[in-house]
Amino acid sequence: MIPTHYFLVLSAVLFTIGVMGVLTRKNGITIFMSIELMVNAVNLTFIAYARQFHQVDGLLFVFFIMAIAAAEAAVGLAIFISLFHHRDTIDVDEANLMHW
Amino acid sequence: MEFAIFFLFAAIAVIFALVVVLHRNPVVGALSLVASFFALAVMYVLLEAPFLAALQVIVYAGAIMVLFLFVIMLLNLQHMAEPPTRPIQQFLGYTASAAFGIGLIYFLIKYAIFTKLPDTPFHADARTIGIRLFEAYVFPFEMVSILLLAAIVGALFLSGKSAKEARS
Repeated sequence: MIPTHYFLVLSAVLFTIGVMGVLTRKNGITIFMSIELMVNAVNLTFIAYARQFHQVDGLLFVFFIMAIAAAEAAVGLAIFISLFHHRDTIDVDEANLMHW
Repeated sequence: MEFAIFFLFAAIAVIFALVVVLHRNPVVGALSLVASFFALAVMYVLLEAPFLAALQVIVYAGAIMVLFLFVIMLLNLQHMAEPPTRPIQQFLGYTASAAFGIGLIYFLIKYAIFTKLPDTPFHADARTIGIRLFEAYVFPFEMVSILLLAAIVGALFLSGKSAKEARS
């Protein structure tokens, strides 16, 4: 049996890579994929703790997170398609229509 | 044996995640993310949650990532060169994320070391999850279905042609 903290450290590493992607990239789709990466790192943490404490609720949270991630991906990608129609790019720096 | 599988697939997950973040071409990024999700599904099997491993493969690698690939190919982004990021943003981004990661792992090692697991095995098959889902979590489950409906309507509204464009 692999101890729980191995999975927690792996999850922390993946989450950090996701943060790095969000902070350093400009391509909207890549930023979105980095967010998905962070969501998956959190899912791994939930499942690791669910096994550690024998709580099925942790697994159910992962279930709900997956459903919400699907909804989020659909709406987010629709926003990028809309942005592309207006600006012909998905560079997030160009999305300054609501800039003050 | 278990440790060998863990380290192999942990390395796969981390390397492909780095490819997602560092590669310029979004198609390569999306396919690497699929590989990373498959490695995470192996982690879920190691954590005795085979139902969620199947969901991970079907929903994430199968549905969400296909949606990403469709959008990348629909917008023809694979040929578009990404403009270089400003050096100050690169520097601050890498520094901040490295500091965040080091802090996270430091506090994990300090406070979250579990030396032993409970003795009894953890039964987390589809049956257990289903019973719990439809007893204690019925209301959130229904709310998620409404959320998905709202997401469908929102996605159609945002990505479809506006009424003015359709008339002209």
